[in-house]
Amino acid sequence: MANVLLPGAALDPDDILTRSTGRLFWRTGFDRCIGWILPLLFVVAIFPILDLVYYISSQALPTLTFGELTSTSPTAIDALGVPIITTFEIMLVATLLAVLLGVFGGVATAEFLSPRAAEWIRASANMLAGAPSVIVGYFGFITFCTYFGWGYSYIAGVVTLSFFMTPYVFRTADLAFTSIPRPIREAALGSGAQPIQYILKVGTPIAFPQILTGVFLAMAIGVGETAPLVLTTTHGVLIPPTIYSPVSFLTGLIWSDFSSPGSGLQAVAFQAAFLLMVVVVALNIVVRIVSARYRKRLEGLYQ
Amino acid sequence: MHRLGWFLPFVPALVPAAIIAGILVSLLSAGLQANLGGSLFSFRWNPAQNEWGIGVFLVGSFLTAIPALAFSMLIGLGLAIASTVYLPRFMSRWLDPFVDLLAGIPSVVYGIWAYVSIAPLFANTFNPWLNTNLGFVPGFGGRVPSTGGQGLPISIFILTLMALPITTLLIRDSLRSVPKDLWESGLALGATRWEVMHRVALPYSSRGVLSAALLGFGRAFGETVAVAMVIGGASTLPTSFYSTSNTIPATMFSLLDSARNNSHFLSAIADMGVVLLAITLVVNILGRRLVSSVYAYEMAGL
Amino acid sequence: MTAASDAPMGSDAAVLNVRKLSVAAKERKILDQVSLSFPARSLTAVIGPSGCGKTTFVRTLNRMAELTPGLRVSGSVEYLGQDIYASDVNPVLVRRRIGMVFQRPTVFPKSIFENAAFGLRLVHEDEGVIDQAVTESLQRSGLWDEVKDDLDRPALSLSGGQQQRLCIARALATRPRVILMDEPTSALDPAATQRVEATMQRLKEDHVIVLVTHNVGQAARVSDRTAFLHSGHLVEIGATAEILERPKDPLTEQFITGRFG
Repeated sequence: MANVLLPGAALDPDDILTRSTGRLFWRTGFDRCIGWILPLLFVVAIFPILDLVYYISSQALPTLTFGELTSTSPTAIDALGVPIITTFEIMLVATLLAVLLGVFGGVATAEFLSPRAAEWIRASANMLAGAPSVIVGYFGFITFCTYFGWGYSYIAGVVTLSFFMTPYVFRTADLAFTSIPRPIREAALGSGAQPIQYILKVGTPIAFPQILTGVFLAMAIGVGETAPLVLTTTHGVLIPPTIYSPVSFLTGLIWSDFSSPGSGLQAVAFQAAFLLMVVVVALNIVVRIVSARYRKRLEGLYQ
Repeated sequence: MHRLGWFLPFVPALVPAAIIAGILVSLLSAGLQANLGGSLFSFRWNPAQNEWGIGVFLVGSFLTAIPALAFSMLIGLGLAIASTVYLPRFMSRWLDPFVDLLAGIPSVVYGIWAYVSIAPLFANTFNPWLNTNLGFVPGFGGRVPSTGGQGLPISIFILTLMALPITTLLIRDSLRSVPKDLWESGLALGATRWEVMHRVALPYSSRGVLSAALLGFGRAFGETVAVAMVIGGASTLPTSFYSTSNTIPATMFSLLDSARNNSHFLSAIADMGVVLLAITLVVNILGRRLVSSVYAYEMAGL
Repeated sequence: MTAASDAPMGSDAAVLNVRKLSVAAKERKILDQVSLSFPARSLTAVIGPSGCGKTTFVRTLNRMAELTPGLRVSGSVEYLGQDIYASDVNPVLVRRRIGMVFQRPTVFPKSIFENAAFGLRLVHEDEGVIDQAVTESLQRSGLWDEVKDDLDRPALSLSGGQQQRLCIARALATRPRVILMDEPTSALDPAATQRVEATMQRLKEDHVIVLVTHNVGQAARVSDRTAFLHSGHLVEIGATAEILERPKDPLTEQFITGRFG
């Protein structure tokens, strides 16, 4: 490699920047190809989900009427009023329970447990979150329907679903409180506040948006769950006279009616699916809004 | 420690542990079968004749979960690589909403869509195509049983879609955590983007990729309702790739109601639950250990 | 503040020739009409206050600046008479001939040998060639004696200073004529810094080195020529001794005496 260049000397072939040897050609070419193929992959990957949304909407919307949504007739097959109301009722109570268990549990873990104990509890929360829905449903069936003797009932379904949702709220509450900046925590506790006071007056306002996000996420998951409910309430079609009766709900409706083609039942199942999709998307949007607001607030906190 | 009820603040924290304990108790109390370990994993499932071999369902679970994992890892890798390096901004910002949508759709909605819209596609187009072109591979040839599209292929398809959010996001997060300096050093040495990706970035993120595989497998293995709707509910071993089959969670889900009055049946279901829970827990624990991304935990729960 | 060009040395003998280089991002100009050249066998220090554009400048020399989205580069950078920004030039080739060492040691999570061999493996397959080149680069960067017993050790087990010398060896392995160094010792302790500076002085015998540094003392110790950048303009350039003892521009003088950083 010549080190001093005389004017007019020919360039070393290695120094020519515009040549394109075989190997370089392949290397650059391959990179460029991938650069086209992968975006194409992305576009292709979107198709199934688009088809899903389109298909469900196209099956559900044409025959969907307001009357159907509100009809609570116990005999008409396309009366969605009952499942809608019941789904709502189930979600309300299950969320309440999950929030109670999850928030208290998460905050307790973040604030009162020793680090070692906290790790174990967090591991158990992760295990619970990772448990397949059918396992939780089985647990609910054995414990509440059989052992407690409630049978297939609204109450068994609600409690089981709440247990399924709890770990998500738990983890969020735990995380929210552990990520409160140390200086704030130490200032509060150091100036003589009791832990409970710190939690209520300082911690909660700070952690609230994050916990709220977690609750909405848990709801988005819970509303779409089938197994924990079906295994504990099967799927009745009556307006439940008591909390010990089986109930009908949107996911269960889809499960029982999806394979009856031609009859109106399947179309109703599609309508239920459509409603579920709308609810889930709405909840996800709410989650995004809340977490965007939360991030803004947190920026102020760290200044 | 003097006031009454000093232990009260600690109690709520025990909730998840208590529920897990409850689950374990309920699984084990249904009376594990006397023939645990013996003919438990046999391939003979015949309730009428008191035969409770769950091997059939285990096979079905693996036959669906493993290919689904492979596909969703491949696609997830492609999407993650694309969004970190190759996609222009206006495209890569759609990855998150896309994955969120995929992950948020309820399992039962996937099921009904697959059953009505996709199954005919499999029955009339895809399965015959596989039969003609891959017929030389054992299991793909021969006569295609008419299952209306239900069976293993469509189950694999659905599971791939459902495991995709986890694999994509975990791999993408791992790639994103590669320090910028490292990328640039690779490029500064005269490597193309792809070369830096596969010689530097991917090796650096190998733990994340492995974790994606483990958690994705856990997701595919444990998926219940969507699979139950398209797999066809068979109780014998599949004879070909296109046969109907059944997986552990799907079987538990569809048969629990029939089992409730039969203690042997219930034990068998409980056995299935134990195996299912054991496999899912092992895979999840291993997967989480490899990666400490909080976001990944959230997604993995789905 | 006029753009000074390096007239006495003549651009024929220059390995790298920068002409009216400007870099803009959105509305802001990061570099404004910078022109200078780098002759063979020289070590040029680029100094200036933070934000003056020296890192961006050096990154335009091996086409790394364009990795930051939104940057627009105009003007030309000629390597041996060829404009590296010409449309038929492959950046991969440019970076092979113009190597770079970064501020923090950026060793790959591989063995010492594989790190040094990285650039080569992209091009050669002959193990013998690679082996020899790795040995040679490790020797030239002053790391050989410390690692020769076990080249398969993970590179991350080395100390910071050793890692940085490994990065230098890595850059040397592809036989570049030009080596760009962006504050290579700012993350190192004084002992390691000294060793790297010794390496730089050895290397300038055979290469063109462009050294970005915020440490005027370092410029004084190792460089032949110094360029002073301020707010994207090349304020002054000349022999290091001249610039540091008898700066012509008042801004240069203020910077060197520590009035601003």
